[in-house]
Amino acid sequence: MASALRSAILRHIRVPVTNSLSLSGSAVRSMSSHGDDHLDKQAVIDRVIHVVKSFPKVDPSKVTPDVHFQKDLGLDSLDTVEIVMALEEEFKLEIPDKEADKIDSCHLAIEYIHNHPIAN
Amino acid sequence: MSVSTASYLARRAAQKERVRILYRRALKDTLNWAVHRHLFYSDADALREKFEANKHVEDIELIDRMIAAGEAEHNKWRHPDPYIVPWAPGGSKFCRNPTPPLGIEIIHNYGMEERE
Repeated sequence: MASALRSAILRHIRVPVTNSLSLSGSAVRSMSSHGDDHLDKQAVIDRVIHVVKSFPKVDPSKVTPDVHFQKDLGLDSLDTVEIVMALEEEFKLEIPDKEADKIDSCHLAIEYIHNHPIAN
Repeated sequence: MSVSTASYLARRAAQKERVRILYRRALKDTLNWAVHRHLFYSDADALREKFEANKHVEDIELIDRMIAAGEAEHNKWRHPDPYIVPWAPGGSKFCRNPTPPLGIEIIHNYGMEERE
């Protein structure tokens, strides 16, 4: 009965047939509200280095993508905590406490942020 | 208790980890309370001074007591409405738009199948 009604209506109304492209390949990701843009690794490296360089206790000329916060830059463990918090604010991340404790060098920070699905 | 036993070192390492996590949480709470950056910087400096003053304590039992006192003080000062990143648990966007289960697709020619 519904199909008869439907065809009766459709006989009188012109409904344009849209291009029936099958979206099942990308439909899963395109319906989620966040997390679908993976950051470019070079962009991540640039932003991380910028954050580390603007830390007041750090000498900007020594910062490279492989630098270790405590061994190379001579920072304290509390300074490492502060740098990780600054990185959290920069990339709008929420890092769990245990994970944040393990981030000890620029290299680890870049790896973690690049592999995080929601880093922005 | 000799200084270089493995259990002593393990205990010291566990204490250092507790101190770092306590500092991290205290700093986040300071940011929650003092939203304006210039206030936050002065408060963060004061917090850092408190941690630096006890930096050179060597006695393990005293360190344990100080960490417990610090955590009690932190619990007293916790913010009732902390800022949590929206997509994290407790944030406003958490579980808001979960990815739909596999196999769901949009049918674009609904109602027009008989016409084809």
